Amino acid sequence: MSMDESPTIFFAQWLKAWEASFGHIGEFPALGPSREKTEKMMKGYPLFTDLYSVWLDSVSDFANISLEAMKRMNDKTALMDGQINPVKYKEIYNNWIETYSDTFKEFLRSGHFSGDMGKFMSCLIEARKYNQEMLEENFLKPMNLPTSTDIDEINRELYSLKKTVKELNRKINELSQGK
Amino acid sequence: MIQKINEPDFIRETFIKFQKGSEVISELTEILVGVTPHEIVYSEDKMKLIHYKTTVKNPCPVPVLMVYALVNRYYILDLSPDKSVIKNLLDRGFDVYAIDWGYPSGMDRYLTIDDYVNGYLNNAVDHVRRKSGADKISLLGVCVGGTLSVMFAALHPEKVKNLISFVAPIDFETDKSLLNIWAKEMDVDKIVDYYGIIPGDFLNMGFLLLDPFRLLIDKYVGFFEHIDDKKTVENFLRMEKWIFDSPGQAGEAYRQFMKDCYQENLLIKNRMEIGGKRINLKEISMPFLNIMAEFDHLVPNESSLPLTRAISSTDKESMVFPTGHIGMFVGSKSQNEVCPKLAQWLKPRSKKDENNIGVKKNKTNHNKSKESLK
Repeated sequence: MSMDESPTIFFAQWLKAWEASFGHIGEFPALGPSREKTEKMMKGYPLFTDLYSVWLDSVSDFANISLEAMKRMNDKTALMDGQINPVKYKEIYNNWIETYSDTFKEFLRSGHFSGDMGKFMSCLIEARKYNQEMLEENFLKPMNLPTSTDIDEINRELYSLKKTVKELNRKINELSQGK
Repeated sequence: MIQKINEPDFIRETFIKFQKGSEVISELTEILVGVTPHEIVYSEDKMKLIHYKTTVKNPCPVPVLMVYALVNRYYILDLSPDKSVIKNLLDRGFDVYAIDWGYPSGMDRYLTIDDYVNGYLNNAVDHVRRKSGADKISLLGVCVGGTLSVMFAALHPEKVKNLISFVAPIDFETDKSLLNIWAKEMDVDKIVDYYGIIPGDFLNMGFLLLDPFRLLIDKYVGFFEHIDDKKTVENFLRMEKWIFDSPGQAGEAYRQFMKDCYQENLLIKNRMEIGGKRINLKEISMPFLNIMAEFDHLVPNESSLPLTRAISSTDKESMVFPTGHIGMFVGSKSQNEVCPKLAQWLKPRSKKDENNIGVKKNKTNHNKSKESLK
């Protein structure tokens, strides 16, 4: 296990232990008048642990690839010797950009990255969606304020009405041209 | 390894450069783009149809409608007077129109590809035909605008005299572009259901991730190296304005495009449907020009080239220019090679012919034109 993988592995083990012990309490059915709200809120917990877990994977991936790029850069700069003057600085910079850009592009092209990015995006959106639902449920609705769900319903209705109006206009034009 | 820094000349020169650069930047007021004279001749919801003022006495009778992508803005085709595909074509005697798709807002999230192709684009084409008096027009689709134009030409071939696909993705089964690789792993439904309108910044993040070190660091280092050159600074700022002028994407259209094109590659297989109609590329039989950029990192040639084979046109040609995706619009090759070759191909095909009746806008022919438009 390398240094940069350790947080991921540690978190996975911690999560396993947590879910088998105290975390298990969260899955118990809630009681009382706020039962529904409490249950909804508890559902957020696994979403955030999933997000944290895939985020750790991404951090670990980027740490590894940065390390690889640094190694390659080291190999290149080892070949450069003598006094460093501004011309050489530019040479070092060019080497650095080229090495890092190429190394990262190799990584970004890999199925490993696209798979991880897909998972990360998925978890991120799930967590944001949950946040939005909680915001609507716990704050906006009790204050009788419009929610994005309400606005979306209006948008859908508007789209449908606009489409109908356009279709009717087209038919009217056809009929008037036919006269 | 670093022994000493002893280059006072370099430090002094750098200081002078930055001093001059700060003067250049402070003199700049507004970054103007899209300055070729034009008027808006038709609009529908957020979409605007732009007609550019002709610069020759007798322009070609068949107008050219340029359809830009839904991502970023159309004015990359008219970035500055000396970097303008539109001006170049006007000066070569074409009557040019362009579509500005605008910035979708919440109420546009349900717009589908059908709405774009059979709605907005179809209405814009009809308007150009009415205004110019031409039965058929030349359709020049750029990038994803090219994909939409190809869909349109397959569904409404009777309205298109010439079709030009300009760095347009058609076959998405390639791993030459990172976008094609990443798109396969995306949960498009989740993204669309959450955002509704896909934010421009979300797409920009993807574009920047294609080469983060060059696009987020090296580009700006290069800018500071030339900060004392007013023209370079102006061009850089124009490009910068365009790059980050990113409209959001209508969710439903984005959903279908990502799933049907990027993930399932239905278009090239003649299995994609919009508005309940299947898009059969074999319906494209008009003269066709396929323009590609050799070093295109967004739309690799493998993605565009199969279109030439997939259509049934007999008069068809592919051209590849040694530049990149953006270089096709703003690079020196764009003005000196791409536009002249494009004009050379299009001009002989933009003459009135027997099938192109109703071209003259006199009273008698106007009615005839209306009839044929129905």
